[in-house]
Amino acid sequence: MIFNSLEFALFLPLIFVLYWFIAKKSTAYQNILLLAASLYFYGCWNWKFLFLLSFSTFLGYFTGLQIEKAGTRSVKRFWFWLSIILNVGFLGLFKYYNFFVDSFASLMNGFGLNVDPDSWTLNVILPVGISFYTFHVLSYVIDIYYDRIKSEKNIVDFGLFVAYFPLLVAGPIERATHLLPQLKKERVFDYSKSVDALRQILWGLFKKVVVADGCAEWANMYFNGSFEGEVFPGSALFMGAIFFTFQIYCDFSGYSDIALGTSRLFGIELLRNFAFPYFSRDIAEFWRRWHISLTTWFRDYLYIPLGGSKGGTSMKIRNTFIIFLVSGFWHGANWTFIVWGALNAFYFLPLMLLNLNRNNLEIVAQGRIFPSFREMFGMVSTFLMAVFGWIFFRANDMNHAINYIKGMFSGSLFKAPHLPELASLTLFFVAFCMIVEWFGRENKYALESFGLKWFTPLRWLFYAFLVVCIIVLSGKEQEFIYFQF
Amino acid sequence: MKKFLIRLAIFTVFFFLVDKLFIFVRNAGPALEVDRRLEMILEGQINADVLVFGSSRGARSVIAQRFIDSLGVSAYSLAYPGSDVTFHEYLLRQTLEVKGNKKPKTVILVVDDSDELKPSKSLKFRFDRMYPLVKYKSVRDEMVKRKEKKPIITELLVLHQMNKSNFLFKQRKFTKNDSIMPCGSMPISHQKKTFDKKYNTEIYNYTREDELIQKIKAFRTFKDHCKDNNIQLIVAIPPNFRKVTVGFVPRLKQVMEGYGTVFMYDESRPEYSNSDFFFDNTHLQKVGSEIYTMELVHYYRELNKL
Repeated sequence: MIFNSLEFALFLPLIFVLYWFIAKKSTAYQNILLLAASLYFYGCWNWKFLFLLSFSTFLGYFTGLQIEKAGTRSVKRFWFWLSIILNVGFLGLFKYYNFFVDSFASLMNGFGLNVDPDSWTLNVILPVGISFYTFHVLSYVIDIYYDRIKSEKNIVDFGLFVAYFPLLVAGPIERATHLLPQLKKERVFDYSKSVDALRQILWGLFKKVVVADGCAEWANMYFNGSFEGEVFPGSALFMGAIFFTFQIYCDFSGYSDIALGTSRLFGIELLRNFAFPYFSRDIAEFWRRWHISLTTWFRDYLYIPLGGSKGGTSMKIRNTFIIFLVSGFWHGANWTFIVWGALNAFYFLPLMLLNLNRNNLEIVAQGRIFPSFREMFGMVSTFLMAVFGWIFFRANDMNHAINYIKGMFSGSLFKAPHLPELASLTLFFVAFCMIVEWFGRENKYALESFGLKWFTPLRWLFYAFLVVCIIVLSGKEQEFIYFQF
Repeated sequence: MKKFLIRLAIFTVFFFLVDKLFIFVRNAGPALEVDRRLEMILEGQINADVLVFGSSRGARSVIAQRFIDSLGVSAYSLAYPGSDVTFHEYLLRQTLEVKGNKKPKTVILVVDDSDELKPSKSLKFRFDRMYPLVKYKSVRDEMVKRKEKKPIITELLVLHQMNKSNFLFKQRKFTKNDSIMPCGSMPISHQKKTFDKKYNTEIYNYTREDELIQKIKAFRTFKDHCKDNNIQLIVAIPPNFRKVTVGFVPRLKQVMEGYGTVFMYDESRPEYSNSDFFFDNTHLQKVGSEIYTMELVHYYRELNKL
């Protein structure tokens, strides 16, 4: 079941009604209902995945309790490392094992040794959302180990923290310190929050169905075409990269908007995941605004424990590379993701070494309609750097990425790209989306206050226009890109 | 909560009213089309004794007009470039079901000797040809049947019946590659730029490994429509710019289950190994199509003892 499906359109109102009408008597009932709904939601992909999710939940629950009640430091450390190794081990087995085998075999074959990777690789499918819920459990266990929180005694509440359906398959990656206290509190229905939630869901659906899926059609055409020997001019390949740049943003931020809005309908606030990253003036700002829950996770649980930027220059460089490479590798077992991570580290490094990485902390052109020339230059150059990076992210493998870049920077880069007729329609929606996002950039999400002061029928017409676009442009339900991670 | 639910209900009603305005957009679709063959089927305007079905190989290689000129029988091509046998089956079924269409005496199904029963990137069920015609209930029903559209929502929302192509509001025109003759055929009189013109002498053996069950099923249903309606079925194989796949004809006969005949072109003709007669490696150009069609006309004449 995915957010942009009819099944979810029926599932959500049903759970909403049960939650606020039947289970409203106590928080415990509401949590039981949400946990049951979450397990059903996840089981719709493949019920067998529920075993792994349950194992991860019980492992986190049990080791959390053991860490807290451990009498000595060594016992505490034992339970901590057992939890970390098992959680990371499962993630590694399902997500990275075959990658390591293939890479090892390629290396050995390079030395003339005949190693057949097929006899070592496993025929397993990657359980949906494993990277996300594993990180939930890891953060919980680490926080208990460092005495930041108390362990959760209620298995239902803990299960809901791990498996809460709005964030289960593609985040945001929650923290126990943020989510668990909300699950304990009484939730009261709030009209304005619920209307706001619907508005965020609507905008998320628009970004996903209209913009991201529209861009996907053309991005796939250009990325696949260059691979099959079909000759596209460099300018068309550049447009393909642009389409993918908007596809990945609108797909993932659209998902996050739906997740946050859905959760707000149940009175639970989730962490913000995106803050208009394509309006960033440098790459450091971009990384403060893109997939925020993951970047802050790596900052808190990897970068800072490694020493952060407190040490000398060499330590700063080492830690920056580690965090970007791990971030790339987190996305998938492919060299393209690692190169994407490394490329971003190279983008980021000069800013950090020159102490310019915290230059742009406030919102761009705050209180103004248009940015200054300097801000505009910063935004365009950061955007183009991101576009280049996304080529690696999208490519099937390194050969594909290199050929694509070669084709793009050929002499035909400045030829007219001859876009298909319907691609112009997609570009119109991209422009529309980015204009709305620009006007809403000072809010939590673009539509939060957009049009609120308009005459009500006009505002409703605007919402109706968004719904019309969603219905007309929703073809076959397309999965969200981040489900594969 | 009460206020929330009431506002939600009012907005839903408001949206339903907005949705109904789009009936005008939906109904404007057919007038913008240049290829009106499917609309003719749905309107019951097909009136031919010989009907040609197939993909681009059927549309380019068989010129229905030659049947009219040589034999005096009425003939019409319903071959659609990029379509597969599931779409051909739909077209034939509609032709037979819709009142007003004349039941054909002969159906010629032009097949692709490598992709007919197998997965293909270039051949599919042509939903894009159906979207301009969603005002017809039978078109919507077929889309629901094929899971292109959701059943209840299709009934409730006009918007769900359409897709983005319905909003282009642009009169379609014939292109260099897609000009339709009055007989429905679409021969081409030029060559593809990337055509390498080197005759492929490699021998390909047909394997059943990756055949698709839905294509086999559609092929058999197509044959059954002919059988049930006492229509003569000719399955025609047009030339590629290479040898025909070994083992394909026996497999085809197996799937046809004894009904209909297979027409195989004369491989010994020098034209079929001469690039001047081809558009690309898999399609004849008009000079080649004329020769192939005359072979087919001759076969039809022999078969029917005309």
